[in-house]
Amino acid sequence: MNTDLHDLLVPYALDALDPHERSKFESHLDQCDVCSVELNGFALTAVRMAEATEEEPPSALRVAVLDRVATTPQERPVVTAIAQHGALRRSMPRLAVAASVLVATAGLGGFFLERDRAEDLQAQTEQISTILTAEDSALLAAPATTGGELRIMHSPSHGDAVVMGSDLEPLADGRIYQVWAMYGDEPQSAGVLPSSSSMVLASGVGDADAFAVTIEPAGGSQAPTTEPIVDTRS
Amino acid sequence: MEHGTAARRLEVVGDDTPVADASALLVRTARGDEKAFAELFDCLSPAVFGLARRVIRDPARAEEVAQEVFLQVWQTAARYDPDRGSAKSWVLTLAHRRAVDAVRHDQAATNRDKAYDWAPDVDHDTVLETVTIKMEHEQVRRCLGSLTDLQRESIMMAYYNGHTYAEVATLLDANPATVKTRMRDGLVRLRDCLGVEAS
Repeated sequence: MNTDLHDLLVPYALDALDPHERSKFESHLDQCDVCSVELNGFALTAVRMAEATEEEPPSALRVAVLDRVATTPQERPVVTAIAQHGALRRSMPRLAVAASVLVATAGLGGFFLERDRAEDLQAQTEQISTILTAEDSALLAAPATTGGELRIMHSPSHGDAVVMGSDLEPLADGRIYQVWAMYGDEPQSAGVLPSSSSMVLASGVGDADAFAVTIEPAGGSQAPTTEPIVDTRS
Repeated sequence: MEHGTAARRLEVVGDDTPVADASALLVRTARGDEKAFAELFDCLSPAVFGLARRVIRDPARAEEVAQEVFLQVWQTAARYDPDRGSAKSWVLTLAHRRAVDAVRHDQAATNRDKAYDWAPDVDHDTVLETVTIKMEHEQVRRCLGSLTDLQRESIMMAYYNGHTYAEVATLLDANPATVKTRMRDGLVRLRDCLGVEAS
């Protein structure tokens, strides 16, 4: 165990690290089983300190939160990775290669689908399989300037695309990757990738000329606010 | 003895029941259940708002951050795993991180604006006093009171004011390594005093 890094465990539990040390400690945490047990006890202690500060919020907060929730999509966990989905796999032998390219780096679960409309997972799985099995679907990969790449399975005839990050740099808290469908120079949001190996189903992008990705605040932006890290035209 | 056991059991039940409910509500929230989310809000908003208020101070900004926290809870509810802890812990951990990030972000902006007149503008003696006096939770207050001054100050300035341990060291005019050690000793003592068991 790295002693220097281990010293950061308590400040980490108290959120008392600067962003650089925080991410350094988090990568250490991934490989340190002893840490997570100890961290759990400290984190629960911190929560007790948090609970000691209860205060009734203004009633406007409830209204504002519930209003926004009514129009905000949720992340949906993918219960079955496409490669693990027997029926789906049998239904698209010709796509075995393409699908495995998409899924290989996703691992078994642990990635998320973000949707524009909250519907059930089944419908989404079917929609994804439709794109993957479409006659005209094509796989496109474009490198990200910050590391990793973006993979896109695009079916112009269906107007939909499955977009997935592969080995993208993990982002700081409160930041996400946002995918843009480009119509000439006009970007239109095609969804967000909340984590470095997320997947997004982009609907209605049949006429898109290209795809781009920018780093945006959590929840996404109306228009790109940073320089693209992926542009499938470059 | 008989009485003591009964009282303890009652206390445990009293502590656990709402927590279990919040976890069930969060699991339902992950399935898109807006009604469950509204109940979850009612259950956890005093804790989330109180924490944001303690760290951020400015009520309007705290309200904004509390709103962002609940929106994030709604969006990422599917990541919550009830086997790994209570919903309240999950939400408050997320809320604390967010409040700290907000206060540091705001502070950085203020420092940029006031670059000509930079000085730590936190009178930490007053801060600690206020925090101590307003601490409603008797057990947490008692346990914090059992720490040495340096242990307590390091922990409270970090957790309730959002300072990094390096900033705490500067404000207390102490060595960062010493502050880390005091924080650890203090948190171990606080954990044991509160009877927290890692699950």
